[in-house]
Amino acid sequence: MRRIPGGKGVVELADGQGGVETLRLLEELFFRRVKEHLKRVEGGVGIDFPDDGALIPLPGGGFLVVTADSYTVNPPFFPGGNIGSLAVHGSINDVVMMGGRPVAMLDTIVVEEGFPMGDLEAIVNSMLEALEKEGVPLIGGDFKVMPKGQLDRITVTTVGLGVARSPIVDKPRGGDKIVVTDYVGDHGAVILMLQMGMGDVEEIASGSLKSDSKPLTPLLPVFEKFAGYIHAARDPTRGGLAGVLNEWARSGGLLAVIREEEVPVRDAVRRFAEMLGVDPLYLASEGAAVLSVSPEVAEEVVSELRGRGFPNARVIGEFRENPKYRGFVVSETGVGGHRIIEPPRGVIVPRIC
Amino acid sequence: MRAWRIRVTGVVQGVGFRPHVYRLAKKYGLRGYVQNLGGSEVEIWVEGEETLLRSFLEDLKLKTPRSAELDEVVVEEVEPSGFSDFAILRSGTNITKVSMIPPDFGICDDCLREVLDPSSRWYRYPFHSCAWCGPRFSVIERIPYDRENTSMRHFPLCPDCLEEYGDPGNIRRFHIQGISCPNCGPQVYLVDGRGSPVNVKDPIVEAARLIDEGSIVAVKGIGGFHLACLATDDDVLRRLRDRKKRPRKPFAVMALDLKVAERIAVLDENAKSILSSPARPILILPRVPGSLSELVAPGLRTVGVMLAYSALHYLLLSATRDKYLVMTSGNESGEPIIKDNEEALRKLSGIADYFLMHNRRIVNRVDDSVVRFTDGETVLIRRSRGYAPKWLPLPRPVRVPALSTGAFLMNTGSIAVEKYVITTQHIGDLENLETYNFLIEALEFLKRTYGVSDCDAVPIVDKHPYYLSRRVAEELSAKCSRELVEVQHHVAHVAAAMLEAWEEDAVGIAIDGVGYGDDGQAWGGEVLRVGREGYERLGHLDYVPLPGGDRATYYPARILVGVAGEVFGCEEAAKIAEANGLENLLPGGRQELLLTLKQLGSAPKASSAGRFLDAVAAALKVSWERSYEGEPAITLEEYSWGGSLIGDSLLEREEGVVLTKDFLARLLTGEVKGHPRDLAYTVQFLLGRRLAEIALESGARKVYVAGGSAVNTVIIKGIKSVLGGENVYIPRKLPPGDNGISAGQIYYAYLVDYV
Ligand SMILES: [Fe+3]
Ligand SMILES: [Mg+2]
Ligand SMILES: [Zn+2]
Ligand SMILES: [Zn+2]
Repeated sequence: MRRIPGGKGVVELADGQGGVETLRLLEELFFRRVKEHLKRVEGGVGIDFPDDGALIPLPGGGFLVVTADSYTVNPPFFPGGNIGSLAVHGSINDVVMMGGRPVAMLDTIVVEEGFPMGDLEAIVNSMLEALEKEGVPLIGGDFKVMPKGQLDRITVTTVGLGVARSPIVDKPRGGDKIVVTDYVGDHGAVILMLQMGMGDVEEIASGSLKSDSKPLTPLLPVFEKFAGYIHAARDPTRGGLAGVLNEWARSGGLLAVIREEEVPVRDAVRRFAEMLGVDPLYLASEGAAVLSVSPEVAEEVVSELRGRGFPNARVIGEFRENPKYRGFVVSETGVGGHRIIEPPRGVIVPRIC
Repeated sequence: MRAWRIRVTGVVQGVGFRPHVYRLAKKYGLRGYVQNLGGSEVEIWVEGEETLLRSFLEDLKLKTPRSAELDEVVVEEVEPSGFSDFAILRSGTNITKVSMIPPDFGICDDCLREVLDPSSRWYRYPFHSCAWCGPRFSVIERIPYDRENTSMRHFPLCPDCLEEYGDPGNIRRFHIQGISCPNCGPQVYLVDGRGSPVNVKDPIVEAARLIDEGSIVAVKGIGGFHLACLATDDDVLRRLRDRKKRPRKPFAVMALDLKVAERIAVLDENAKSILSSPARPILILPRVPGSLSELVAPGLRTVGVMLAYSALHYLLLSATRDKYLVMTSGNESGEPIIKDNEEALRKLSGIADYFLMHNRRIVNRVDDSVVRFTDGETVLIRRSRGYAPKWLPLPRPVRVPALSTGAFLMNTGSIAVEKYVITTQHIGDLENLETYNFLIEALEFLKRTYGVSDCDAVPIVDKHPYYLSRRVAEELSAKCSRELVEVQHHVAHVAAAMLEAWEEDAVGIAIDGVGYGDDGQAWGGEVLRVGREGYERLGHLDYVPLPGGDRATYYPARILVGVAGEVFGCEEAAKIAEANGLENLLPGGRQELLLTLKQLGSAPKASSAGRFLDAVAAALKVSWERSYEGEPAITLEEYSWGGSLIGDSLLEREEGVVLTKDFLARLLTGEVKGHPRDLAYTVQFLLGRRLAEIALESGARKVYVAGGSAVNTVIIKGIKSVLGGENVYIPRKLPPGDNGISAGQIYYAYLVDYV
């Protein structure tokens, strides 16, 4: 067997943070091992292409969208939702980000022995509530209990199924405008603060800052109206905006240029992120989308979004063809410099001398 | 009648050395020749009476042209071959492949005299230069250094200049590539903030007038643009700091001459000779109180001073009221200095009110060098104009060429070819596209110049997995899929110091900010044995936590909070921290203090001297917010001036570990007592002493000290107190800090036989 490079022979936390380390590990574990013709269903999209989900061509035209995700959020209850609503919204959003209309969902719940029954019920209630609101049937699933100590409380896995007539397979083009639909980083900031035992800060306790977890199905009419002009769509969850843009810049061989001051970030998120020593660009959102849009319709898309419940939508930058700086993401600074926004990393090693 | 063959090595090309030899030989009636051998060598053959030969040799050694540097003069007795005359021979060909690119030289006294002489044809000519002075590296496109290979090629010599160029009797202009005059040379002009020309008779005098009125003027000089403004006007400086987004980092001041410099800084003879040396660096000196606005160098008792180093600067300053001005690099913090007119207009339009420009292209951008005194020795902080890209010789040739990309902040790159290590000019902080690109360009320039093709060179990088310098190395060696050679940060620091002395096995003390350690933590207070067999960590400072990673570097009170948390437990720590008012040293106040404690579990740890000194500076309320690299530590050092040593037990040691964390904890509980100034002095001194003791116990006699904190006088005094001054070596030709680390990366790889 091939030895997997890097690391110390055991899986490390950093390997699962969705950053550079995760990509490297998945490449070694899966992508280079699966035979090319087995990476997708003929005529569709699979693990041959990094995106939110997979596409399977349907006999009558269009595609079946399939996506799976495990949720392990700590703590499982947080202002703005819980692991149950998060898991439903997450997979719905992955379907939407492929340009698909969600049609069904499956779930798997694994709970630790001793988990309060009331909490389990609350989690399932919010799953069902979220599904009902979206009119998405729950068509199957699984339920297991692990002995105490063999699992940290609870994990929820969801599989989202959808149908897309004109799917969005993320292929940003040079000249495209980068649009975000909403404030970024709310979810990540809230979770980090809770993990630090700081859930009692005024903004969170009062409810003015909470997770932005919500379904992105209202984007579908916009996607339909501008079909062919929206070249990529992604919800910036783990790794945040920086993660999405780096992935797109790399896969598209493009240079992404943003203006950081244009990125909508709530004051509280900015302040907490600063205190935590993290950049809000790396914080997860669970109810926002990043789009790569043809420049000629970008402004129109933004006003359409604003009229459909996304008042904070805006253009934050653009992709450029630049052979010298392929794969870079930069932020234009006040005086015309370009700070490099690096891909997210699993571990923090201080850099400053 | 006897004959000598003399080989001279050093900075001997492009500095008027051969005409000088020619004139000396003629003076003593000797016959023979002088010839460039390539490399940095000149061969001289002289025949004649022995007494005359001796006088010739004496003059050769003593009366070298001001910009020449003779490293080695080897005399060999040979059979006379009966030359009839003395001649300058054409440059040698295939003796060695490479020849040193001369650095830029500040204007010489003779040129300045001519510029100020109304009867001279160079009267008030801003670009006057001669054999001994003027731009070199900044105008060179390729070698050999001929006019055709420089940006002076756009200015063909007029008949007057041509005549002097061809006249062997004209020692300052005969065959000198950079000469020009008002009739044939570059022109200056003034434009306003929108790029529209300001038509005046004398743009330089007009620029001076505008500056006196309070304008900020971008001035294109030798290696790039400066921003020039009054150094005595708070309002102007506040505006500059505001526009440059640079709250406290000191600005350099340019003075007309030594007499003017004396009005703003305390100069001794040594300082005077460094200031007026051909390199004309910025020298950091104690400030004369009252001469400058506090906003030039807030919180400091020093100022960085340089002298006008071109006729343009001289003419500008002499037309101002004060005769000295703030002259700070025209760029954003950490970015490369701007060199092109169009780039300046685009990027500096929000900062400068006017632009004083000229039409000579700057080929290689090169920032001002920065020098300071450390316990009386001269050390480089930033090695650039006047020094770069001079090479450093190796004891024997490399097996294969090499290329290194340095670290992160204050970066440079280096290449090694034949028996030389050549380090780029100062590049900047590797966190934006501009510096990333500049490093690649500067390395490409060296590779091209020295004939190193893409896949020849072994790429060498820092061990840090996330430095952008690694990406530069990957980019430069992508086509050849060469494996990167990693060198630990502080090993490279020590190796850089060893390179100058050709040391092959030694003990070093690396006192530094942060570098990636072999255990994945941040190192930076290390005693290391470095040699041909590899390296070994003999001792180090104790680890302190950095809660929030880099954030703890910006706000070192976080380190103190973390130390309190680790030593006293979270609850007690919050009380102790608040008793010390640490929440007032954090922008997020009490909330951030509590958050810092919560982050302790995931905090990286640092054995770094820089982070320890930062924490001490915060604990003593001397400095607690890093707005530029090294700010708390630099402020602490200056604050401790006049402090005295209070005992030897303030900072203790357990075997190879210096108990820094313990000291900080005791400082917080109030167990450590004394005047803060004495505490500051003593802890720096003992930091050096303890590390030196570890080195001594390992059997070391001579110790190489490097790293960003190696410029700290008090620490060096502490090290010397154990080892004796003559056994402590601080690098002189390379900056001890990260600006010199790329050369150390190569030297270590060379020692262990990778190159
Ligand atoms: Fe360093
Ligand atoms: Mg997508
Ligand atoms: Zn001169
Ligand atoms: Zn002329």
